[in-house]
Amino acid sequence: MDKIETAFAGMGDSGAHADIAETHIACLSCDTLIDISGLAHGERAKCPVCGDLLTEYRDDGVSRVVAFSVAAVILLAMACAYPFLSFKSAGLESVTTLPGTVIALYDYGMADLAFLVGSFIIAVPLLVLLLLLLLCTPLVTQRRAPWMIPVGRIVFALQHWCMVDVFLIGVIVSLVKIAAMATVVLGISFFAYAGFAICFTMAMASLDRLQFWLLVERLMRDQARG
Amino acid sequence: MARNRAISQHLSCCHVCYKLAPVESHHCPRCGAGLHPRKPESTQRTLALLITATLLYIPANIFPIMITEQFGNALPSTILGGVILLIDLGSIPIAAVIFIASVMVPVGKLISLYYLCWCAHRQDEFGARSRSVMYRITEFVGKWSMVDVFVVSILVALVSLGGVISIRPGIAAIAFAGVVLVTMVAADSFDPRLLWDREETAEE
Ligand SMILES: [Zn+2]
Repeated sequence: MDKIETAFAGMGDSGAHADIAETHIACLSCDTLIDISGLAHGERAKCPVCGDLLTEYRDDGVSRVVAFSVAAVILLAMACAYPFLSFKSAGLESVTTLPGTVIALYDYGMADLAFLVGSFIIAVPLLVLLLLLLLCTPLVTQRRAPWMIPVGRIVFALQHWCMVDVFLIGVIVSLVKIAAMATVVLGISFFAYAGFAICFTMAMASLDRLQFWLLVERLMRDQARG
Repeated sequence: MARNRAISQHLSCCHVCYKLAPVESHHCPRCGAGLHPRKPESTQRTLALLITATLLYIPANIFPIMITEQFGNALPSTILGGVILLIDLGSIPIAAVIFIASVMVPVGKLISLYYLCWCAHRQDEFGARSRSVMYRITEFVGKWSMVDVFVVSILVALVSLGGVISIRPGIAAIAFAGVVLVTMVAADSFDPRLLWDREETAEE
């Protein structure tokens, strides 16, 4: 169900600015103005000129984000606490944890790389999830909070810098790579991280940037009025 | 048929929250972010970052990405060396994953962004749609080239059995992580709307 609607006519220079700004958005790829007012649950707005997906409206957007974020935070905590993988060869065994993959790089004198990897796979995703919960609380309780706008800006800036899914592929590749060399045993943490990656991806998929900002704006406006 | 563009209605779109505001305003009325009708000096910034990434890609391929130490012998392997080793061992699918993520994606990304910068500069009136698609693909695949760096960090942590066998990270790992990081910022600083601008100016 794609709602494709462009308003070509009836928008002269006669002070229609305010109305256009309320009902339209500009496509980020080609700058076409598109009417996004009146999207029903599950409807998407796509740009008719370049085909870019602009926004998807869902009634349950906020509750989906909260549910997946809470699940993801719990699974990430589990993934950090339990053993991740263990490696056995020649009667010797080494066990690694998830934070251990970052610490090992640091121990070999690559603090900069350790910082990047640690940020992409643990720190930034965790920060995004916690800030997202902080942003959703006022939206759920319908009480305006002063931190909504700065927190929203940080969340959407950091969103690109999460590589949870890429890391999961990296784990699978490394398992296959050393399977011939030795016996590798998957720990609880591996399954917890896989679950975390799924919940995190679902939370991000439910987070529609425009719809969130519209909710924030509406809450700020309603409370300001009285 | 002429499209109705935000810029021809004297509106600019906030890149943070997608709010439309008159071009004269410096800050977004909804979220307070700085407003520009087009990303400032987009092509120059993207090109500068692309050149940085291209230069970083050289050490990333010359130096070893990881060093395997077995019974005291150090065996360094580069990105391409690792791919060739995997093919020799018969792990064709894994070799393909590493080759796509570490060679095809970053090189393809660099080439497509150079090409898009050239198109934006030339402002060709044809093919803006397919170039927009090209840009979206480039933007989407960016982070997937980190796979090899993650593989190295997992192997380094996992394979450490005292004097028997251990894996150390090589200098190419940080150079390659730099390539990924810089190309992601380059893709972000490119403004795809520049690809469409000429078409409209010609019609008006
Ligand atoms: Zn804004």
